[in-house]
Amino acid sequence: MKKLVCLLLVLVMVGTMAAIPAMAEAAQEPITVTVFAGDPRDQPTSDNKIFKKIEEEFGLKFEFEFLAGDLDETLGVKIAGQDYADLMDGGNSAEKLISAGALIDLMPYISEEKTPNIYEYIKPYLKRLLDDEGRLFIIPNYGRQYNINEYGMNYVNGPAFFIQKKALAWAGYPMIKTMDEYFDLIERYVAANPTNEKGQKNEGFAILCEDWRAFCLFNPVQHLMGRPNDGDVIVDIDNGYKTEAYVIQDYAKPYYKKLNDLFQKGLISQDTFVMNYDQYLAKLSSGTVVGMFDQYWNFQNATDALRAAEMFDSTYQGLPIVYSPEQAGKEITEHYLNGSVINVNRGFGISINCQFPERLVQFMEKMLDDEWQKIVWWSIEGEDYYVEDGRLKRTYEQIQNAANAVWKNANSAYVLTNSMPKKQGEMDDGNKWDPMVQPECYFLEMNEYDKQFLASYNMQRPLDFFNDPITLAPYGEAWQIDVTVDQAANDAKAAFQDIERKLLPQIIMSDPAEFDAKWDEFVKAVEEVPISDFVDFMQDQILKLVEKNAE
Amino acid sequence: MVDNNMITRSRSQWRRHSVFPYINGAAMILLMFVTLYPVINTIAISFNDGTDAVRGGIGLWPRVFSMKAYETIFVDEAIYNAFFITISRTVVQTILNVVITSMLAYALSRKRYILRKFITTAFVLTMYINAGLIPNYLLIQRTLGLGKSFWAYIIPTMISCFNMIVIRTYILNLPDALVESAYIDGAGDFYLFWRIIFPLCMPVVATVALFVAVGAWNSWFDTHLYNAGKVHLHTLQYLLKMKLATTFNSANAAMTSTEAASSTTLTTPVTIRAAITVVSSAPIVVIYPFLQRYFVVGLSVGSVKG
Amino acid sequence: MHTVKTASVSKPRPSAYRHSFWKQLLQQRQLVWMSVPMLLYIFLFNYFPLWGWITAFMNYKPAVPLMENEWVGMNNFIWLFERPEFIRAIRNTFAMAAINLVFGFVFPILLALFLNEIRSTRFKRSVQTVTYLPHFLSWVIVVGIAQTIFASDGAVNKLLLSLGLVKNPVFFLGEGKYFWWLVGVINVWKECGWNTIIYLAAMSAIDPALYESAEIDGAGRFKKMLHIALPGIKSTFMVLLIMNIGHLLEAGFEIQYLMGQNVVMDWSQTIDIFSLKYGITKGQYSRAIAAGIFKTVVSIALMLGANMAAKRMGEDTLL
Repeated sequence: MKKLVCLLLVLVMVGTMAAIPAMAEAAQEPITVTVFAGDPRDQPTSDNKIFKKIEEEFGLKFEFEFLAGDLDETLGVKIAGQDYADLMDGGNSAEKLISAGALIDLMPYISEEKTPNIYEYIKPYLKRLLDDEGRLFIIPNYGRQYNINEYGMNYVNGPAFFIQKKALAWAGYPMIKTMDEYFDLIERYVAANPTNEKGQKNEGFAILCEDWRAFCLFNPVQHLMGRPNDGDVIVDIDNGYKTEAYVIQDYAKPYYKKLNDLFQKGLISQDTFVMNYDQYLAKLSSGTVVGMFDQYWNFQNATDALRAAEMFDSTYQGLPIVYSPEQAGKEITEHYLNGSVINVNRGFGISINCQFPERLVQFMEKMLDDEWQKIVWWSIEGEDYYVEDGRLKRTYEQIQNAANAVWKNANSAYVLTNSMPKKQGEMDDGNKWDPMVQPECYFLEMNEYDKQFLASYNMQRPLDFFNDPITLAPYGEAWQIDVTVDQAANDAKAAFQDIERKLLPQIIMSDPAEFDAKWDEFVKAVEEVPISDFVDFMQDQILKLVEKNAE
Repeated sequence: MVDNNMITRSRSQWRRHSVFPYINGAAMILLMFVTLYPVINTIAISFNDGTDAVRGGIGLWPRVFSMKAYETIFVDEAIYNAFFITISRTVVQTILNVVITSMLAYALSRKRYILRKFITTAFVLTMYINAGLIPNYLLIQRTLGLGKSFWAYIIPTMISCFNMIVIRTYILNLPDALVESAYIDGAGDFYLFWRIIFPLCMPVVATVALFVAVGAWNSWFDTHLYNAGKVHLHTLQYLLKMKLATTFNSANAAMTSTEAASSTTLTTPVTIRAAITVVSSAPIVVIYPFLQRYFVVGLSVGSVKG
Repeated sequence: MHTVKTASVSKPRPSAYRHSFWKQLLQQRQLVWMSVPMLLYIFLFNYFPLWGWITAFMNYKPAVPLMENEWVGMNNFIWLFERPEFIRAIRNTFAMAAINLVFGFVFPILLALFLNEIRSTRFKRSVQTVTYLPHFLSWVIVVGIAQTIFASDGAVNKLLLSLGLVKNPVFFLGEGKYFWWLVGVINVWKECGWNTIIYLAAMSAIDPALYESAEIDGAGRFKKMLHIALPGIKSTFMVLLIMNIGHLLEAGFEIQYLMGQNVVMDWSQTIDIFSLKYGITKGQYSRAIAAGIFKTVVSIALMLGANMAAKRMGEDTLL
């Protein structure tokens, strides 16, 4: 009996010993994966700790190509030469890769049995993700929330009318809701405080008009009308998704009339229309600009500069400003925030040149395991975060590290995982996947002035000024629709953008007596483009998307 | 030792002589200030704290001193290899280009050469034609297979028509007798070019070498097109351009940015751009005086003639 | 029959002519070795890729094999010339290139002449080194500084106000009429010193004996400039002039792209910016190629015209 057991044991041992290397070999035969990403990123250092771990576990080494030039131009030559890396992230022009046939259909590699994680990841959004023939070319990189659905940040990173916190404090922390209230406050504040603490002249309202950042000039209208950011068009979801270019509508006029008014009163300077991005940031960080419409990420550097100079009261609070019922012709509820939704067609696809698609899909599958996701978001326990009472936390220093580009190049695989599917929202134990959303981390780095400012409003987070996010419309966000596929729409859009960027500043700077005439001229010029080429195309696409995605 | 000419010079000329250098000198100093200002301003910004520099208004001296921008650039281990690649390509490209271009310029300066007109025209037209990016890319990448190799930097850049014309013009201005007498002596063209003309052309060769070297040193687009996926072939300018782009990007990245970053960990595009300018142009500015002596002081043509 | 005979009498017989051509070529074989390989080289690198020009007559998509693209005839050209923006872009390009052409000759030559007058070698060298430095600054930096200097509260306006030349700050950056001149001035600022090098090199070839004998003749400073230095660089000047007349549709790209804020786009947009905006970034490669062909044809015509004019006047020529 004993002998038999011994024999069995030996057999089992030999068996396992033989089996382990065989299995490991199959999974770990080392290969080099070429990666292209359509945005600039730093090459990781050769001793990067996370890439070391990935190589140990998966036997994968990566050779990265990042983008230093123009994305469309680069994709153009790559498509012409069929030079594709194994993993391709086409950035904001990924549609070009798909329509050029550069990417393989991933659905044959994805199923509930073979890739449970990925399947779970895309399941709620299958309708949006698959094309008409049921193919999937790109596994999205962001926007899949687990367990909860929330905005995903504690502050508004997107569009808003911003105002210096000290102006709100000066007025006794009022709730500002309408355009008139907003500009009225600015006017009163500048009248009472013609200069800032350092004696520099205060400027009421700034408008950045440089190149593509000119969205600061025309995007406000759609938000004033209670719509989220749809780019150049407004979509009436209650009225059969009727689409129109908003800047030339009658409801746009009160906004530009108001700006004309402010210009006459000297609250907007003429230099605002010719300043470049650096000058804009310099102005904001000098603490002399009381308000502006912008997207938060666009002036993040200025906020950092203000904080570094300890001018906390000159940092900005975003406000969801809307028209009054008279101006809009109807009651407006603010809708600045959309609910989070999966990032369709943004992320890695596998190219037709790739020799090992199965292995790469399996790699992304394994990386979606909870242990790996923790590494992706939080990095290594004990080094980059710690656990206290079941909560994941970071020290102040660890938070700073995670934001430091130099540190990240040696200690994070973000250059790869940025384009890979990730879990967002909450872990099963209630911790947030994203450290910066984890309240313990967020409040640790919030300064005292901000805490006191929010407390005066009885709020905890800058986000609390806004309504809860509204579920994304079935057409998504209209600014993401690729117009380059239709030549006429494309030309109309380009010409239209030229006209609005050129004429709106002139209208704002015009003599009030000439305002109406100039406005009519502008509307006429846009209609003659003809703008209908663009709007009709958008209408068509939006209805198609609605039909495809509607529940 | 009294100079006779000095004595015979008229009074009015004397005055002109004494006043003009001062006016000229003063104008030159003003000019130096105007052109030096942006350079010093850039250096000052590069040594300023990044977040502080966003506020603008830095003049000729850093406001908040910091080496952060340079640290960010030099912490990247790849930069040393990139320096090596850039120096190699600059040296190889400059030598090849200058020799080949001046040889061609010599041939096309020989009025008796029967293909002269045809070849000159063929070259001059290249300055005005451009086939567009894609055909050029396909030629180098697919037809010639130069992609992912050092030769993608060298092979397509061996001749420059503009420089050829500059050298040719210079050769044509050299005294004819010099060349013709040597020709009658039975010297071959290779001998003439290499032994007589090329040494005489030093000022213009130095000029052209400078043009080629600066172009080679500053180019990043060929790395971007052909060698972006090969880290060991990255050139300095490509790397620096990427560094600037990532700095911009981290300011713009919506989903990955944290609100947390404090000034101690941040670099901003403003300072990085300035530091990059300094790092990338310093070496070529340093070697400039060595080339400069050829064309600023000038050769004594007379002595060579004898 | 008869005419052929006369022709063959009046000229050397074709075969004899050919014979002498090959014979001459054989004699000049060293020159052939020095130039024909280079000729083959540019045929490969500059002329062979011109097959790409056929895409101007297509609706070219890089993803589609070349000959399977849709042919559209002259449509891309017609489209270009029907766009008022394109016509404006031609005007702007031409105007700025012309300003650059004039400024780009006058200032570097003046600087070269005056540098040549400096006696102290060390001072001469320092001035030359310093003035050439801005060439190494990128356009982003130069334009950024220029935008600060020319702003309403910038140095230039402060100077004009304090001198009492204007009552209100001049809106340099926001009014189209100033744009071309600003570009011209900034170009001089950045490139003047650099462009001087070529003339300095040309002047170095001037025989010092000429200066000596002029001095003996009692020639003054300006006389020497006029009669020795200027003629010394004349052929360089002429060749560059003809060359640059051919570049009158080439006004640069970056400076206008960075300087030209949206308000002044009617004055700032050049052909290259137009191609980028309506062509490459929109996936319309054919249009960019069509605009490129147009530029090439005009450039070559201008260059040949200038060359011919120079020949008529008995000046140095490019070809």
